[in-house]
Amino acid sequence: MSASTRLRTPNPHLGAYFGIVTSAFLSLVILLAMFEQLGFGRAGLTYALMLLPLAFYVAIAVGARSNDVEDFFVCGRRVPAVYNGFVLAATAVGGIGFFSYTGALFFLGFDALAIGLGLTFGMLVATVLFAPYLHKAGAYTLASFLGQRFRSRPLRMAASALQLPVTGLLLAAEIKIAAMVAAMFLPVTYPIGALLVAILIAGIVIAGGMRTVTWTGSAEFLIGAAGLAVPLIIVSVLVTHIPAPQVTYGERMTALQRSEVTMGALPSAPGRAVQPLPGDAAQASTKPFAQPFGALSKPDFIVLFLCVALGTAALPSLLVRSGVTRSAIEQRKSSAWGLLFVALFVMTAPALAAFAKALIFDALAQVSALRLPRWIGELAAMGILDARDLNSDGAVRATETLVARDGVALSLPVATGLPYVGTVLVGAAGMALALAAAASHLFTAAGSLSEDLYRLIDRRVTALPRIIAAWAAVAATAVLALCTVWTADPDPLHAALDAFAFAAATFFPVLLLGIWWRRTSSLGALAAMGTGFAVVAVDVVVGGLFGLDESGLATLIAGLIGVVAGLGAGIAISLFGPQASAAEEAYFEDMRDPDGETIYDRAQQRAAAAAAIEAARVPPP
Amino acid sequence: MASDAPETSARDRHQLRTLIYAITVLLVVLGMVLATVIAARPLNAYPFLFFPLGFYLLAQGLVVLIVAATFWFARAQERIDIERGESEEY
Repeated sequence: MSASTRLRTPNPHLGAYFGIVTSAFLSLVILLAMFEQLGFGRAGLTYALMLLPLAFYVAIAVGARSNDVEDFFVCGRRVPAVYNGFVLAATAVGGIGFFSYTGALFFLGFDALAIGLGLTFGMLVATVLFAPYLHKAGAYTLASFLGQRFRSRPLRMAASALQLPVTGLLLAAEIKIAAMVAAMFLPVTYPIGALLVAILIAGIVIAGGMRTVTWTGSAEFLIGAAGLAVPLIIVSVLVTHIPAPQVTYGERMTALQRSEVTMGALPSAPGRAVQPLPGDAAQASTKPFAQPFGALSKPDFIVLFLCVALGTAALPSLLVRSGVTRSAIEQRKSSAWGLLFVALFVMTAPALAAFAKALIFDALAQVSALRLPRWIGELAAMGILDARDLNSDGAVRATETLVARDGVALSLPVATGLPYVGTVLVGAAGMALALAAAASHLFTAAGSLSEDLYRLIDRRVTALPRIIAAWAAVAATAVLALCTVWTADPDPLHAALDAFAFAAATFFPVLLLGIWWRRTSSLGALAAMGTGFAVVAVDVVVGGLFGLDESGLATLIAGLIGVVAGLGAGIAISLFGPQASAAEEAYFEDMRDPDGETIYDRAQQRAAAAAAIEAARVPPP
Repeated sequence: MASDAPETSARDRHQLRTLIYAITVLLVVLGMVLATVIAARPLNAYPFLFFPLGFYLLAQGLVVLIVAATFWFARAQERIDIERGESEEY
């Protein structure tokens, strides 16, 4: 029972298992591509490529199922660094990164680079400032950590409630992305797709919590990465003869610039015609790709970068994974791996957007409106592109080309003329990343609700055992997220940026102070968290009621103001309010010591030993 | 707070070095990102691998820098963590 007796060695065959996963998936793709050439129907190929991976994730979840508390919350603390890096990257990128970020790059070009750079820098900030110390503390959730660090139940409950907007928004956005892919490729409508996705991820999380989230997430990451890399490398070889899309799209940018001029996409200025952050309705892309600061001004660019960075650094769904490796040093390495994988995506995404835009714009600029290539019609049938000569001048202009932001990634294989399997492959990859991220967000939200709210409100320990409470919370959270998707229909990119603003303002100040400043008091921590959250909440409520913040930029600014205000409030209250207790300072020192068992596990062992002594002293009647 | 006990001095030295490493790595990266954003327009005048240099740095150059900084930091911090562990064994 006691944690120290557990074997913390990972399964030695993991590398072989996941090697098999990746090669099986690639073989499936090649096999289906051959079937397509042989004349098999599209429907069968699509179902095979979409459903077989899904069945496979379910199989992994069943195989890795567990109802042991340590497995459920921290995967037994024995995940190798690289695998934790896989899931960190899948959670940070997710379906939102795969579809919405590439779409934002399509519309904004240069200006959207702030998001990718912010994501990468945020992972660095978390690696340096938070992750190893959270590992040493060993708490199962972010709110539990704050509660244990400051010996405060109200703080723990408040943190659990305040992480809901962050994880909830991201969860709803990821479910929406996965449902959109399902509705496009499977015979289900969008609401039914959302329902099935919610059932699938709730099932995965209930089967084994962090353990199943980790192992299905690793497989989903590998499939997502393969599905992004393979079509893009093929496109790169077709267009430039070099299989490295990241370095070859520069060549295409000059040609793209010429096509943009032909189609009338001329340099723009911030705050004019171009929306600073594109919405998810189909719209014209009029800002030239390479033009710097055409939609976002220089200060806006920096605000977007900082808000995404601080939001990523303090994202509960990433920080909750800080306890799953063996040691603080291992945790730092795994964060570095996660950052490497995120960086690979961030370097690849502009290539995808640039190739897609170059192919579409070159085709439209070079031919007359009467003889558009056939794939333009295919994209129109998929609801991704609407290019028509509205003013009958014989040419399709940039303003007459409406593109759906979240479909840009899917447009690339179609525009290149890859077999249909290539399009489904991109869909399956995006679905995989969206499911991995959604399961992470769901586990984070539900785990915290059951651990930090339910178990503190309902003091009757035996009423619901720990795991069953978590199962109930998972189901409740999934239903809540599903209702949000059905009724509010959130725009994934804007929802994610709002979530980053909330995460930055609510959790960055309190974590920075709690981990790096000995004298932070529990009242100071509460003030830091409350102030930051209040600033963003006021902005969202006021902006929502009066329709002031159409672009979403004001929420980002509010997020940064929240960070500064939260830090100020936390420092002021800690200095002038009641002082931190000796127990809090002792916890601080223990947390900063990189050696030894986690604080939480040691406390559990002490409690178990004390209970054993107690049981021995009082013999049962 | 500070005492003459070797354990406490090792602890304080470790915490100070940790703080210096953290501030250094974050400030260097943040400074380079901000400098590149501010100088993006003039940098774009120079081509690099067919990219405008400012675009290239923000899309890839700085991302590579962040990866390098992270792995350097993980290794450097691991070294001082192990050093502290050894000094505490007495």
